[in-house]
Amino acid sequence: MNKITVYTLSTCPWCRKTKNFFNEHKIPFTYIDYDLADEPTQRRILQEVDAAGVNGFPYVKINDEVIVGYQPDRYSKALGL
Amino acid sequence: MSKSLVNIESRKKSLHYFFEKVVGPLGFKFTSDEDLMNFLLEQEVILESKHGIPFCPCQPLRNDRARDMQIVCPCIPFHRKHFDEIKRCWCGLFIHKDIIDPDKLPQLPPKEVNNE
Amino acid sequence: MSERFIKAISTDEIAPGGMKAVELDGNEIVICNSGGKYYAIQRRCGHMNAPLDMGTLDGIYLTCPMHCAQFDITNGEALSGPVPSDIGHEIPPPFLGKYLQNIGMLMKHVRTESIRTYTTKLEAGWIQINIK
Repeated sequence: MNKITVYTLSTCPWCRKTKNFFNEHKIPFTYIDYDLADEPTQRRILQEVDAAGVNGFPYVKINDEVIVGYQPDRYSKALGL
Repeated sequence: MSKSLVNIESRKKSLHYFFEKVVGPLGFKFTSDEDLMNFLLEQEVILESKHGIPFCPCQPLRNDRARDMQIVCPCIPFHRKHFDEIKRCWCGLFIHKDIIDPDKLPQLPPKEVNNE
Repeated sequence: MSERFIKAISTDEIAPGGMKAVELDGNEIVICNSGGKYYAIQRRCGHMNAPLDMGTLDGIYLTCPMHCAQFDITNGEALSGPVPSDIGHEIPPPFLGKYLQNIGMLMKHVRTESIRTYTTKLEAGWIQINIK
């Protein structure tokens, strides 16, 4: 069972597309809209995002693989679709 | 200004006017994807009415002035190398002047550009 | 609709892109030359009353010098409010900190109102403004 976590922004259209991708493929995932989260959660997300050396959303984690930016081809590949 | 007071269409129009003058000399233009452009400009107007500054709708605010200033739209000068490589800015509001089809421009983080 | 045009300044006094403040019968007005067309607006910013003639005019958009609120000079519409000036997260000395905190709290209640505009007409090289 794949573990998928997504960090997004409620104001970002690419993040919306990312959520739609998983919904349309009926793949369960959890997401947090960074801009709507409380401060401790925001700090935690930033720590993780900074550790990965990036600064944009969407930030998708499929098991151990991190994919930043809307990249549906890579999501498919990581999920073996 | 609170969200309810600013006329979103008026503000979008003025942001378009100002931004165009800034990004042109940098080699960029507004995306030809009008729906995307309108959506992003609208998000920026909302962000501006909340924070007083039109921030990029696709990058995180950190409550750290020095870093947050780097995502004030147009943020191209702060990400010049990266955006010149992917021929677009992160949220896609702006694209290189010679681009005809913006849909073909993937949203790649800096580390992945050279792997193409 | 009543009119009362008053002769303000000659067109020589204001170049394209320029602004000039005048006072006509008690009305503080700024005359703007935007690409050869003349507009007249109230002088006081709809935010905190700063003199808009000391700001910048770009096309039909005027930016206030005090906190950078922006206005459309064709209709007086306020397009954006003040830009926050954050001095970072240094901790100020207690009395200054309290003062800033209080000002900050009060300023949250300040709105940026749209500004009054006046119709203009040209007559023999003079800009006339309807102050009614």
